[in-house]
Amino acid sequence: MSIAQAEATELAIERPVSLSRTALVRLRRNPAAIAGAVIVGLFLLMAVAAPLIAPYGPNESVGGLASTPPGPSAQFWFGLDEQGRDLFSRIVFGARLSLLVGFVAVLVGLSLGLLLGALAGWTGGRTDALVMRSMDLVLAIPPFLLAVGIVTLLGPGVLQVMVAIGLVTVPQFARLLRGSVLAQKESDYVLAGRAIGVPSWRLLLSHVLPNAIGPVIVLATLTMATAIIEVAALSFIGLGPADPSLPEWGRMLAENASRLQNAVHLVLFPGFAVVLLVLGINLVGDGLREALDPKLGR
Amino acid sequence: MTADLVVVEDLQVHFPIRTGALLGRTTGAVRAVDGVSLSIRKGETLGLVGESGSGKTTTGRALLRLVEPTGGRVTFDGVDVLALRGEELRKLRRRMQMVFQDPYSSLNPRRNVANLVGEPLRVHGIASGRALDTRVTELLDLVGLPRNAGARYPHEFSGGQRQRIGLARAVALDPDLVVADEPVSALDVSIQAQILNLLGDLQQRLDLTYLFIAHDLAVVRHVADRIAVMYLGTIVELATAPALVGRPLHPYSRALLSAVPIPDPRVEAVRERIILRGDIPSPAAPPPGCRFHTRCPFRQATRCDTEIPALREVRPGHTVACHWAEEIEAGRIRPAQPAAALAADG
Amino acid sequence: MSSAAWTAWEGADPVRPPAGPLLSVRDLQVRFVTRDRTVHAVNGVSFDLDAGQTLGLVGESGSGKSVTSLALLGLLPRRTAQIPAGEVRFADEDLLHAPESRLRQVRGNDVAMVFQDPMTSLNPVLTVGRQLTETLRTHLAMDKQQARDAAADLLDRVGIPDPRRRLREYPHQFSGGMRQRVMIAMAIACRPRVLIADEPTTALDVTIQAQILELLRGLVETERMGLLLITHDLGVVAGVCERTAVMYAGRIVETGPTADLFARPRHPYTLGLLRSVPRLDAGSDLPLAPIPGSPRDLTDAPSACAFAPRCAYATDESRERLPVLTPVDGDRDHLVACWNPVSDAQRVSSA
Repeated sequence: MSIAQAEATELAIERPVSLSRTALVRLRRNPAAIAGAVIVGLFLLMAVAAPLIAPYGPNESVGGLASTPPGPSAQFWFGLDEQGRDLFSRIVFGARLSLLVGFVAVLVGLSLGLLLGALAGWTGGRTDALVMRSMDLVLAIPPFLLAVGIVTLLGPGVLQVMVAIGLVTVPQFARLLRGSVLAQKESDYVLAGRAIGVPSWRLLLSHVLPNAIGPVIVLATLTMATAIIEVAALSFIGLGPADPSLPEWGRMLAENASRLQNAVHLVLFPGFAVVLLVLGINLVGDGLREALDPKLGR
Repeated sequence: MTADLVVVEDLQVHFPIRTGALLGRTTGAVRAVDGVSLSIRKGETLGLVGESGSGKTTTGRALLRLVEPTGGRVTFDGVDVLALRGEELRKLRRRMQMVFQDPYSSLNPRRNVANLVGEPLRVHGIASGRALDTRVTELLDLVGLPRNAGARYPHEFSGGQRQRIGLARAVALDPDLVVADEPVSALDVSIQAQILNLLGDLQQRLDLTYLFIAHDLAVVRHVADRIAVMYLGTIVELATAPALVGRPLHPYSRALLSAVPIPDPRVEAVRERIILRGDIPSPAAPPPGCRFHTRCPFRQATRCDTEIPALREVRPGHTVACHWAEEIEAGRIRPAQPAAALAADG
Repeated sequence: MSSAAWTAWEGADPVRPPAGPLLSVRDLQVRFVTRDRTVHAVNGVSFDLDAGQTLGLVGESGSGKSVTSLALLGLLPRRTAQIPAGEVRFADEDLLHAPESRLRQVRGNDVAMVFQDPMTSLNPVLTVGRQLTETLRTHLAMDKQQARDAAADLLDRVGIPDPRRRLREYPHQFSGGMRQRVMIAMAIACRPRVLIADEPTTALDVTIQAQILELLRGLVETERMGLLLITHDLGVVAGVCERTAVMYAGRIVETGPTADLFARPRHPYTLGLLRSVPRLDAGSDLPLAPIPGSPRDLTDAPSACAFAPRCAYATDESRERLPVLTPVDGDRDHLVACWNPVSDAQRVSSA
């Protein structure tokens, strides 16, 4: 009677809310995360629509050679470089490369790391020990040194740089996912799944991984920021993408480091671009971390 | 007398204690279950009672091969469960299901209810598409959840409702045996009764056999036909529920019964209290002889600390593992020190 | 118990309380306010506790029983908790508006608390002895040797064997039951006049629970403490408490002498609780009568009987007006907050 109704209405009040939607709602309430998303969005837009946004081509000489390149002006917002190219246009086109490198490097690190981490965590025992000890070995080498080593081994080139930076991050992803999988493996719902007769691989793929992957996603965003800095750093020491005409932020910094005295803008603007993009990605990552934390109440 | 659905003989689950990470040396074992024998009859509810560390949960899980037994035999409807491998075992799981204590952690938070309840049917290839939806709706009805619950997620439900979801999952495959491990102890008092009644209702409608594991003797007394009492990995007494509660033979069962609070001040004021000394010993180093002798108020100078008592039938259908059960019952052996010495006496 | 240290500080016994109850709570209200919502956790709770008396505060999760106990000693989180109204008096002193410095004195000295989880209430990196003697030395100004003797004596009193050795051990070396004994020893160290025990045995096994309850019963008798026992377990209350108050949705719905309240429950919720727990001494043929539905959330201030949606006795009045505690049949000791209390005849016929 009325009691049954009360119970029914109690259940009917709210519309179903999925967890990912809850995370999205939480993310939207976080002003820092929104700011980060706006920054990253602007850079993405820049990368995609570079030819439309940039007033000149990246390698178009508009001012002619000059030993003291002119600084910012109404016509050239960020000034010109020593070859007379518009710095603003080069930075806009440079966003393509930085974002691409960040994305591909993370993709490489994430996919390999996920594979190894899931394998180690789920199978346990000897496989686990073997995988994790080799990961420890890799972790013992300073990451930048390792990246330098891999690039020298693979030779210069955009792809090589991306792969090198990605490989360096594999142990971090593997380690994090393994821990996360181990925690999930012990949980009751996994036991419940086994009790029902869900095959082991299916339990891993469709139950454990979706629950374990939250922290890894956060790490991925943060790693992307690091990757962008590292590609800049590799370029800085001369191990960046081979084609010297490619507008790459790190290379711009490296080539003009000696010009701090008479052309600050050549270092200032590329540096600013790197910092801003990394900041934006970090803000999004931090926001995600909070939003995905199931311990926080809704 | 009905046939036995499950027969457990001398079941052992020892967890190795390892030191060292890569090579690993075994330095000892936690004897979580150490020689348990029992049978569960078709259609009955066997209650398995014990305190923490008694091995009751491990026994239930080992029976379903959710932990690997290190010894003994488990026969389910004539099939040797411990001999099954891979796909055969997975097939058998259709017939033996489990209900968990914590309705919060035993449901994957990222799946909606329809998905959770339908999962057993999908993984065993029993139903899909429209048929699956129909069956899920039937199951939701069966456990008293509204039909629109299917599209919602576990975190939107109260504890009692989640336990209903867990029950729907457990009975989805129309199993013969359900192992219910503390199914109501995480629930509020007023909700417990709802779930207990539902369990009884499902048993009748679906012809279920239950192994009901709990620490709460009053609850077990209410649902079980027979009760087995566990202490430190072994069964110390097994009898019909009225016999075990009315005429317990093992000193531990007596103490356990007397420790259960009864919600009636008049009864509480006059009842006998046996207060045990000390704590439950570690299952990694169980005491020699009778495992209960370190806390037993009836401990004798001989046999108790040297000889392991066998589970023997003292009355028809009433088995107990105590050397002195008859003498204690007849009053020829009295408790030594009044065990209530712990209480500060004014 | 008759060690020199123990008797030595018996002389420090505070003056006897003035007339009137030792602890008195009137119309206490607690709200939790967060950005998203407001939870009305406690909505007007009143009770008295005298020396040597035991009061059981019974309720399910969300009934406000624990929040009530935390509010008494100003232990609620300051950021979110608000106490819009009410009065808490200990020995005629207003605790609700007392400064934190005064509350710190009261806590431990006069009113002590024991919580459900003894592990989280003990510092894992300090020995039990260090934690016990620290309490004794700060509150009772003892020197090192005195404090050590007194600590050993306390452990002995709460039934911990070999106390001098155990004082040198760390909390993880104690079992759950022994840790709870340590917590009780710490709580009674300064001979408080009121002990608040919040689900002190819920995390323990039954045989261990029996030990702890026996200990509490003994302490109330010997120390003449007032004991406020907060629990969800009706059986525990029946065995320990003289008086019982049943809480639902932040209000006391029925209160009275335990024997009377269990024998003649007048509130449908109390009756429902009693009918829904299986009894060890009853046959299994007696069906359980569960309370249908589940408690509502407390986002609105109560304006009617909160139990009405789950109640078979609810009337139109129950759904519209808030019932207050009133004497049952003129019995000023047994109070019920219900517009349509269960009569003796109804109780028998519904069984």
